[in-house]
Amino acid sequence: MTLSEKIYQSAGLTLPAIATLTALVVAFLIDPYLAFVSTSWLIFGLLGMSLDIVWGRGGLLSLGQTAFYGMGGYFGSIAAINFSELTGNSIIWALPIGSLFGALSAMLLGYVIFYARMGELQSTILSYTFTLLLWSVIQTFKIDIGSASVLGDSGLSNIPGIIIGFGAEAESLGPNQALMTVIIIVAILYFLTRQLMHSHFGRIIDCIRIDSSKTELLGYDVRKYQLLNFIYAGAIAGLAGTLYALWSNFLSPSVFSIQEAFLPPIYVLIGGLGTLAGPFVGALMIGIMSFVLGGAAGGQTTLILGVTLILLVLFLKNGILGSLDSLWRKFLPDPNAAARNTNSVKIDVEVLKQILIDAEKQAGPAKNFSTIQLFKKFGGVIPVNKVDRNFIPGKPYSLIGANGAGKSSFLKTCVGIYQPESGVVNLGDDNITSSPIFERVKKGMGVKNQKPQVFGDLSVIDNLWIAAYSRTHDQQIALDISHKVLCMLGFEEQLGVNASALSHGQQQWLDIGMVLCLAPRIILLDEPAAGMTKEETRELSLLIRTLALHTTVVVVEHDMDFVSTLEGHVTMLHQGEVFAEGNIEELRKDERVLDVYLGRRKHV
Amino acid sequence: MFKILNATGGYGKTTIIRDISLEVKAGEIVALLGRNGVGKSTVMRYAAGLIPAMAGHAEIEGIPMPNSPAKRAKMGLGYVPQGRFVFPRMTVIENIAVAAASNGYNPKNTVEELMEDFPILVPKANELAGGLSGGQQQVLALARALATRPKILLLDEPTEGVQPSIIDEMSGVLKRINKENNIAILVAEQDLDFCLSIATRAYVMDKGEVHMEIDRDSLRANKTLQKELLGV
Amino acid sequence: MELDYLATILLSSLSSASILLIAAMGLAVVFGLMGVINLAHSEFLMIGAYAALTVTKAGVPYILSIPIAVMITMSIGAIVEMLIVRRLYGRLFDTMLATWGLSMFFMQLVVVIFGTSTVSVATIPQFNVSIGEYSLDGYRLLMILVAALMFLFVYLLMTKTVYGMKARASIQQPEMAQAIGIDSNRVNTLTFSIGCGLAGFAGAILLPLVPATPTMGLAFAVKSFLAVVVAGPVALTGTVLTTLGLGGGSSITASFLSSVIGEVFFFLITALLLWLYPCGISAKWRRKL
Repeated sequence: MTLSEKIYQSAGLTLPAIATLTALVVAFLIDPYLAFVSTSWLIFGLLGMSLDIVWGRGGLLSLGQTAFYGMGGYFGSIAAINFSELTGNSIIWALPIGSLFGALSAMLLGYVIFYARMGELQSTILSYTFTLLLWSVIQTFKIDIGSASVLGDSGLSNIPGIIIGFGAEAESLGPNQALMTVIIIVAILYFLTRQLMHSHFGRIIDCIRIDSSKTELLGYDVRKYQLLNFIYAGAIAGLAGTLYALWSNFLSPSVFSIQEAFLPPIYVLIGGLGTLAGPFVGALMIGIMSFVLGGAAGGQTTLILGVTLILLVLFLKNGILGSLDSLWRKFLPDPNAAARNTNSVKIDVEVLKQILIDAEKQAGPAKNFSTIQLFKKFGGVIPVNKVDRNFIPGKPYSLIGANGAGKSSFLKTCVGIYQPESGVVNLGDDNITSSPIFERVKKGMGVKNQKPQVFGDLSVIDNLWIAAYSRTHDQQIALDISHKVLCMLGFEEQLGVNASALSHGQQQWLDIGMVLCLAPRIILLDEPAAGMTKEETRELSLLIRTLALHTTVVVVEHDMDFVSTLEGHVTMLHQGEVFAEGNIEELRKDERVLDVYLGRRKHV
Repeated sequence: MFKILNATGGYGKTTIIRDISLEVKAGEIVALLGRNGVGKSTVMRYAAGLIPAMAGHAEIEGIPMPNSPAKRAKMGLGYVPQGRFVFPRMTVIENIAVAAASNGYNPKNTVEELMEDFPILVPKANELAGGLSGGQQQVLALARALATRPKILLLDEPTEGVQPSIIDEMSGVLKRINKENNIAILVAEQDLDFCLSIATRAYVMDKGEVHMEIDRDSLRANKTLQKELLGV
Repeated sequence: MELDYLATILLSSLSSASILLIAAMGLAVVFGLMGVINLAHSEFLMIGAYAALTVTKAGVPYILSIPIAVMITMSIGAIVEMLIVRRLYGRLFDTMLATWGLSMFFMQLVVVIFGTSTVSVATIPQFNVSIGEYSLDGYRLLMILVAALMFLFVYLLMTKTVYGMKARASIQQPEMAQAIGIDSNRVNTLTFSIGCGLAGFAGAILLPLVPATPTMGLAFAVKSFLAVVVAGPVALTGTVLTTLGLGGGSSITASFLSSVIGEVFFFLITALLLWLYPCGISAKWRRKL
């Protein structure tokens, strides 16, 4: 790696660190009133970051962040009002309680959104509804909790300020000190979040955003990760809400309002979606603008904000930091350059065998895969009609049949994408008929779909690693496995290339490599030869035959030539039922099979 | 009359068809054969203007066609997609009428004419197209394309999921409109019988390229060739 | 006695639901026929109200101010479609954010031009209808009829005209619509413009009930927005049902309990319906619109 690349790589750490130190110095020097006002900008930036975690990383535009912010603010303040007299210090009470309630509200909402597997629009709308629901409730909600009085429309007052000293004499910090404290808290949270997003957790979240169905096919419980990410962001938002309450000493229901709900997306869009630091830039710019123009309520801030938002969406989708980032990358060597000088893939059978033997050692022997009276229908169409099959290791199995014969429906029912009306699917000794997809994968099922499914924004090695990590849960072992598979595919030079820069054929191989990283005990391949050149098809055939020596392999394929090279057992499906079976020579001699295949009818 | 010249195209960065050239002469029915996934549908979508051309172009009567699919339709290109794609929440009549009206023809007269051609649609005239069976939808998609009064008709897998009796009826209708209205037809198919029954000439595709051109009689006579071409 | 009270509540709830329907109709048209959520819809309503107010003050009879408001909002809508919305087709959330920006822009623009104060118009019809000892605002009740007529108009426009067929074809199978020769750009501009015109109509017709203020649209925005999304793909009929159910339901709840519980009812049922019907209540209906 060159020096310029190193600087670029660490920019997410060094620049915010420099910014933090500069901010601390500035906070110490500036006018107290400006210090007071700018504290809120930083808090809004933190709120924006909580949305960036959910939206930029997780892929869900949540309009519920202000709800978690408000919930955190209210409960954190109630804790501060009641307990800060005990210690003098207010933040040790307020911040944990605030983030706890932010997290709890996020958990409640997130559970419904993710476990009901809601669509994008519905999720956004539901999060919005959640915020509005709280808004209408809190406006008339009156209750005394200890010495705290929540007074509906009149809000919650007498919230202690930011107090970091202990004991009876501890007092609220002055504006400059308060700003410095908030800078430190925010910096800690930023670096913590950045660390989290660079850990395996962050990588999995990235994968879910790029292709959640593929992530599930790698054996990850997608919903769990989405929910955890949402809860984490909720905790950050709750903490931001508490800081806000301590800063302003007062909280009103307007934190839940419609206008407020749309502010975090604006911060994120201005700064740059998915950049984590961007929302701070966005909040700072809006803060400065309304400060100069004279407050958010009056003046022309709203006018400028509205136009800015439109222009951003139309012309600068990546925001300020995102655009600077792509500008910077133009001056660096192109990491995807290596994608252009690839040779055609040659499978090294010895390396492959070693990988398969290792896999067998770690994951146990190959498993049988069977279906009993499997039945699936859509309205009047029955694509899978009481199919009994038992697949065992040794030779590859091919499922053939004309278009609409039910091949892919059978496969999808086996994978778990379709739920059968009746019948059983067994993996080894386990009945997996109603198991979710990721559990089937954990039990040893590997799936390669017809189209290449790779994570385009991730490097080749990261693609393999994320698959290997799913099984091993050990970063180093996962890295070793991915390197072996990388060598087998001959992709050593392309290690750092983005998967999206690879050609269609190379993506197919990378996808197959990811499946191998899972060390599956049974492999299902859907039309793997589609779109491959003749050379590639030959290598693929070799790979499948080698695989079948160590695991159970089922291939759904249309191309009889390819099937014949596999030298395995062939089953022909027709109208959802097993029509014929045997080896390929026998089937090719069968006139009935040819009639069905060529669309010949008796009268010609 | 209708030509595709050096067509290269695909989805996103992926190239599916490479340097395809083919021609349909006036009044001719030509088949496009090949296995699943060799790019037949992509050729059809290329011709209809539904995917951007990476290279090459399509032309009618010597005039290159513009990019917009709507303008191509107005120049006389009728397209029946694989999977039919009728407008599901519109009635059978509306499906036909909207196609006629969009090209400046009287919707009422066109509907009447086409209902005569396709009596199977008459009892379903006021039902929503989404509720029709696969075969009925296929006939409707054909009627809809004819309502635009095309000079060249592109049919993509018209027999897929359609019962044999309707297939026979359809081949009869296609032959008739071909003769009576002098509409040239390009049909992409896997069903060899259907193709042999209507087309006089065929292009065979493999791996995104035109592999060979062959006339009906040679294809019909040669069983080994049939198997080889369709990869059985 | 009891019966009179009940009838009063039912009628006033029905008229509340009708008002919501009037406000939501344009949104339903744009969402149902273009798949676009226009968050500036409420501002078009507000512009309609201000347009009607301005020309009424200039001496035009109130009834004539309504078509003027419709024309103004339709023109602005067409411009917005060509400048902004057209570039964002297929990017649902980007359209939402851009139209949200537009709504802020319009709101502030109106503050700049007209100020924040409200001006009532004396020439606007006001009369009362009494049921037993209860008295209801007649103009409010009239809104039930207006909503029904408005629905009928939009329904006929979309089902009986060539434009309507083109618009429905374009949303149901966008590619095929183009392949049979429909110029979807022009159809979409017109649809968006009609949606905005309906908002302008709503703003003008509701002027006697909802005084023109820069933020007047917000009160309708959220609820009509939710009603339309919950309604789903058969947007028009679906929205009639959701506005009646949600709007009417919350209004009835509000009259028996309190207005806050009415609001809570609205949002809770919305959340529940979203959970039960993730693609909208009309996802599986076999209906035209």
